[in-house]
Amino acid sequence: MSALLTVTNLAKAYRGVHAVEDASFCVERGSITGLIGPNGSGKSTTIDCISGFQRLDRGRVMLEGADITGLTPQKIARAGLVRTFQTVRVYDEFDLVANLMIAVEPFRSVGWHDALLRTGRYRAARKAAETHARELIELVGLTRLAAAPAAILSYGQKKLLALAAALMSRPRLVVLDEPVAGVNPTRINEVATILRKAKAAGTSFLIIEHNVEFITGLCDHVIVFDQGRKLTEGPPAEVHNDPRVLDAYLGIEEPAPHAVAEAS
Amino acid sequence: MRELPLAAALLGLALLPPAFGSNYLTGVALSGVTFTVAAAALNLVFGYAGLLSFAQLGFWGIGGYCSALTVTRLGGSFWDGLVVAVVVNALAAAAIGLPTLRTKLHAFVIVTLTFALLCGLVARDWVSLTRGPLGIPGLPTPRFFGFAFDSPGRFYYLVLAYAVLALGFLYALGSSRIGDTMRAIKQNEPLAQSQGVSPLPYKLAAFILSAVLTGLAGAIYVFYLKVVDPLFLDFYYMQTFLIVVIIGGAGSFWGVVWAGVVMVGLPELLRFSNDLRMVIYGVILVVAMLAMPRGAAGWFADRKITALRASLR
Repeated sequence: MSALLTVTNLAKAYRGVHAVEDASFCVERGSITGLIGPNGSGKSTTIDCISGFQRLDRGRVMLEGADITGLTPQKIARAGLVRTFQTVRVYDEFDLVANLMIAVEPFRSVGWHDALLRTGRYRAARKAAETHARELIELVGLTRLAAAPAAILSYGQKKLLALAAALMSRPRLVVLDEPVAGVNPTRINEVATILRKAKAAGTSFLIIEHNVEFITGLCDHVIVFDQGRKLTEGPPAEVHNDPRVLDAYLGIEEPAPHAVAEAS
Repeated sequence: MRELPLAAALLGLALLPPAFGSNYLTGVALSGVTFTVAAAALNLVFGYAGLLSFAQLGFWGIGGYCSALTVTRLGGSFWDGLVVAVVVNALAAAAIGLPTLRTKLHAFVIVTLTFALLCGLVARDWVSLTRGPLGIPGLPTPRFFGFAFDSPGRFYYLVLAYAVLALGFLYALGSSRIGDTMRAIKQNEPLAQSQGVSPLPYKLAAFILSAVLTGLAGAIYVFYLKVVDPLFLDFYYMQTFLIVVIIGGAGSFWGVVWAGVVMVGLPELLRFSNDLRMVIYGVILVVAMLAMPRGAAGWFADRKITALRASLR
């Protein structure tokens, strides 16, 4: 069985500084895969590159056997890889249902003239999309607010809405950039439950997150990044106890230069 | 019964010229309807798609000169002139939009502004074509199957018919998935892209359609004025369109239509004080902007959100 997402030798530098040097990894079908690592280890750059929001310098990205390297974000989204953003993004002026209805996927067979003339095809697609949107809003527990503009949501609620919006495209793989950062701790379990339900419905996930408890409790597989490279990977419990991972986070072997200077 | 107020408003508008019984007031209403259409077209590109386009002034002028030149130089009819105005403006908008809409927003604003100024220069300095500051006077009366639009009262119905068609089209577009997608791109382009939306076709469509509708408004309006000269490219027009959109609330169809009616009527209502009327008009503008920075429609939307927040506590 081939992997859902295969990233090979990905590299990206900003003005000569290597953000990602040489990263290769896979995301298996039907899995929730975690991507962890200290700040500046290249996680965000990696998902910016695979989702098309950053041009990559080198490497190859394959989704279900199709080459999506260097495509525009919208083409990658239509190919089945949809991402969310670290700083949450929603349409503040739109109500929750309208937020989800922007997704192109339910309207694939609908042309501009259908929309202008309100043809039967357009109305049928709209109706089906709205039903699906309401199901997803129920999945993330925001039904009570479905008709309210997204501007009134709390930060955590906006993250849930962004998750529902990502699922609206019926993606193969959802890449979540810190889905529970800034979310009320009592709600973090809710997010995990939602993700398990979506996984059971056939969606795979790649998740960047600093909340170790969340990652170990949820993920089937964890990839650890350090200094722009993959350090190690494996089941969460194994990775958790790997001394190299502790080193990467705590920097025991390589003290920071200024600490050395102060000591001497 | 949602159509009832709309039908009543249309009937009211249709009865304006006989009710006024004055060519001057009918002319004001005629200008008001024309400017409202141009403002609604600016609303499509600026309010919906979030692109501040100063090129509208250029399209307005190109429309005016195209229809006038088609009649005076090429011997075509008024209707031929409208067709030429549509084609030239669509091509001009595509030529500006294709390269600049890929770049950052600032570049687009500057290029459209430059284009508008350039159109003014061409109107003034390409004397062999436009007759320069002399303008093209004596534009003939448009006719439709023998019916002559030869008085302000009659011309008014020509303008009103165009306004109904143009605003009807803009409403159908703006309230469809296409309009929603444009507003989504304006609010958060990366999010729209992550949902599979290609921004460029929507931006380009908004820009070209607004160019065509603005140009047609200009093309018709010069035949009411019976003359087109470089003053037709005065920044006054751009300013009027922009004020209507901003006061009404960028991105709101009805907000802008209402603001069109109010902002054209207001200077006339203020005629009780002829010396101070433009001063009062200015003060009203400033106060309106301070009280409602997102326009009338934005003000209502904000109040709704405040009420919702309170009810959810």
